[in-house]
Amino acid sequence: MTEPHAAITFGPDSTGRHHLPVEATLDNCIKCNICVTVCPVSAVTDAFPGPKYEGPQAGRFRHRDQPSPDASVDYCSGCRICNMACPTGVKIAEINARARARLVEEGLVGRRHRLRNNLLARPGTLSRLGGPVRPLVNALFANRAARWVVEKALGIHHSAPLPMYAGERFSKWLSGWKPHDEHPAGKAAYFTGCSAEYYEPRVARTAVQVLDRLGFDVVVPDQGCCGLPLLSNGEFDAARAYHRANVNRLLGFARAGIPIVGASTSCTLTLKEEAPELLDAMDDDARAVAGDTYDLHEFLVLIADEGRFPTDLRPVPLRLLYHPPCQYRAHRLGLPALDMMELVPELEVVQSLAACCGVAGTYGYKEEKYDIAMKVGTPLFEKVAEVGGPVTVCDAETCRWQIEHGTGVRSIHPIEIIAYALGLDIEGPLTKAIAASPTA
Amino acid sequence: MNGTVVVVGAGPAGLMAGLAAARAGARVRVLAKGWGLFHWHAGCVDVLGYDPVGGGRIVSLREGLAALIAARPDHPYGLVGVDGVLAALADVSTVCAAAGYPLVGSFDRNRLVLTGVGGARPTCLAPATMAAGDLDRGDPAVIVGFDRFLDLTAGLVAANLEHRGIPSRAVTLDLPSLRGRRFVNGPILAALFETESFRAEVAAVLSPKVGRAGRVGFPAVLGLEGAAAVVADLRRRLGVDVFEIPVAPPSIPGIRLHRILVAAIRAAGGRVHDGMEAVGSESAERRVTALLTESAARNLRTRADAFVLATGGILGGGIVGHEDGELTEVVFGLPVNGPGDRADWLRPDFTDPAGHPVYRSGLTVDAELRPVGDDGMPVFGNVHVAGGAIGGADAIAERSVDGIALATGRYAGTLAAATALDRSEEAAAS
Repeated sequence: MTEPHAAITFGPDSTGRHHLPVEATLDNCIKCNICVTVCPVSAVTDAFPGPKYEGPQAGRFRHRDQPSPDASVDYCSGCRICNMACPTGVKIAEINARARARLVEEGLVGRRHRLRNNLLARPGTLSRLGGPVRPLVNALFANRAARWVVEKALGIHHSAPLPMYAGERFSKWLSGWKPHDEHPAGKAAYFTGCSAEYYEPRVARTAVQVLDRLGFDVVVPDQGCCGLPLLSNGEFDAARAYHRANVNRLLGFARAGIPIVGASTSCTLTLKEEAPELLDAMDDDARAVAGDTYDLHEFLVLIADEGRFPTDLRPVPLRLLYHPPCQYRAHRLGLPALDMMELVPELEVVQSLAACCGVAGTYGYKEEKYDIAMKVGTPLFEKVAEVGGPVTVCDAETCRWQIEHGTGVRSIHPIEIIAYALGLDIEGPLTKAIAASPTA
Repeated sequence: MNGTVVVVGAGPAGLMAGLAAARAGARVRVLAKGWGLFHWHAGCVDVLGYDPVGGGRIVSLREGLAALIAARPDHPYGLVGVDGVLAALADVSTVCAAAGYPLVGSFDRNRLVLTGVGGARPTCLAPATMAAGDLDRGDPAVIVGFDRFLDLTAGLVAANLEHRGIPSRAVTLDLPSLRGRRFVNGPILAALFETESFRAEVAAVLSPKVGRAGRVGFPAVLGLEGAAAVVADLRRRLGVDVFEIPVAPPSIPGIRLHRILVAAIRAAGGRVHDGMEAVGSESAERRVTALLTESAARNLRTRADAFVLATGGILGGGIVGHEDGELTEVVFGLPVNGPGDRADWLRPDFTDPAGHPVYRSGLTVDAELRPVGDDGMPVFGNVHVAGGAIGGADAIAERSVDGIALATGRYAGTLAAATALDRSEEAAAS
């Protein structure tokens, strides 16, 4: 736990940005309750009173020498919608995340749930263990009885949309991939993320092929989990080790001016901001890596702004619902993936305008939070049904799985649309959808 | 290709500017640090409640505004004229009516609406859901509160109504469906009122207590998306008029207006983003070329052909006061007209009817709402200012916040679209 007000600095940092430490933003709260009106969790459950009460208000009663005042802060899903709506710049979600870490530190999260949280929060470790017996694990997770056993034993809800292992890991595919010979755009470092490495390598394969098509020499650095699942489960010490290891491995790229690009919006946000901020780890190295890390579509928009993105795009004759995840909106970039999709001829994209899909990383997997997550996601699921379409589009992995779980409609990453528009041979549900389109 | 207009701020001024610019054919991006004024205010459209020149309450806006503009041509209303105000009111009325949430009011007679403590506030337009609370009506009222909902004390409102000669009674409901909840706040009640079961429960408990009252006043939490239907349903169940009383933030009626305007901007092809704090800009040859907003790990650059500055004044955060008495505009660093010495910011008496000088501080703008420098020339040719950032009015004291915001917002948005479309035609021609 960081000492409150231990490192308060005001004024611009070395990059000229004004950066107020998390706890110091508490004093900006004017108690206007705007955050309470946008919180998707407090809207559906009495277990969480709302961002203002748990964040800046309870924050006044938190001190390292005093016990935590309220355990219900664990029901914050960390979606950061409150931060976005706050007119005075209070970092409410971060205040809550630190308060949760304090609960963990004080042993206020029960042993069984803490074990579960630690398992869910280590997708890399779990996958390496389960990887060799992938078909067995997949079969186990698909088995209803087994899922009840898992719920009783570990507290992972039996209906939660746990991902399945892919047949081939992304890194294995990469070792046999033949990129273009010419790379006029220079190097780009690709941050894969655990989910694309183990569960949805299709997304990473598509992303690196798009970068390759745009003239980048794609390198995939040695990397580990970004640490976000640990951060959102309050396991800060473990998260610190993951973050530091990634900074050390990525620093060379940052120092060399090679952009670090990722298609997982939560991984990139964690490298850019979430980890160094929550862990008070914003030293020069972490800052260099953060400042060099880009969300994939943020990166593509910059390329397009420079006139380096092709204009002769292949039409995608579909009307699709796009849900920009909370973790994507929290980058504070507007909607870069929508900007890119708007370049694609014949594609009609309908924004979900829904607050959150509910799952919030590992939140919706938990036995005590699954129902809340499904209620939070209900307006989005209804919007999917209203708009229709063969697939939905969403940037974040756990959100895609939640949307599929809540609607039965397959969900794809926007880069798959961009890849198709660029004329690449793509795999997965989008090709089928286009082939089945009456206007195709 | 349409010209791009970036609007900074999403209060009434920014949203109205975004709507006007989008409808004029510009590609609109409204970027806001967070949500603001609408979530704090009463959900009415105040145009001018009190005369800042002669004092006293304004009855006819048509006459009051004309007199104000004649006496104080440098007042923000002088920049848009009476016609500009009327056009903005017509726009917002049309948009709200189209959304199924009609506003009522007249330019010839300010309404007196009830405040959350039972006081009176002059306003031009109020949602129809507040109409039956009009204080010019003298018939008896029942004021409803909810046990454990602390934002409306029914007894206080009823007592103040009695003082005004309106027979009133307070009823505080202790409902089983609320008893089991740990928290009862405005958003929760608004969501509950959208359900038929809760309305039935309320009506069943309340009906026997209405007596001979001709109307029943509720805190303004009667639904978020379907407020008109909620009020109609309660009226049917209770058999008397039903009205809403604005309460402390978060303001449900304000959020309704916010949502309606945001939806209208989106329907006109624009986008509205929160969480994007403007921290600076890039400019060349007296034109702003890009806005810089704070984003994760770095600032984001958004290019546009024209900009609307709608960040508010000293209360909204668009203008910031410093310890040495200096006042600065936070996005473009524009010169601020205001009391230079900190000792002159405030008058000694907090309730001084003349208001406080610092609240009149703001930017000086030309006829096209462009900020001007000491030389009287526009600092930037493609920036138009709207709302509280424009100096010259103590909008809180006058009760003119919404009127100034909507009228200058509409004008600034229209001008910015014209600027942007000219600019993009130039670019296309070159």
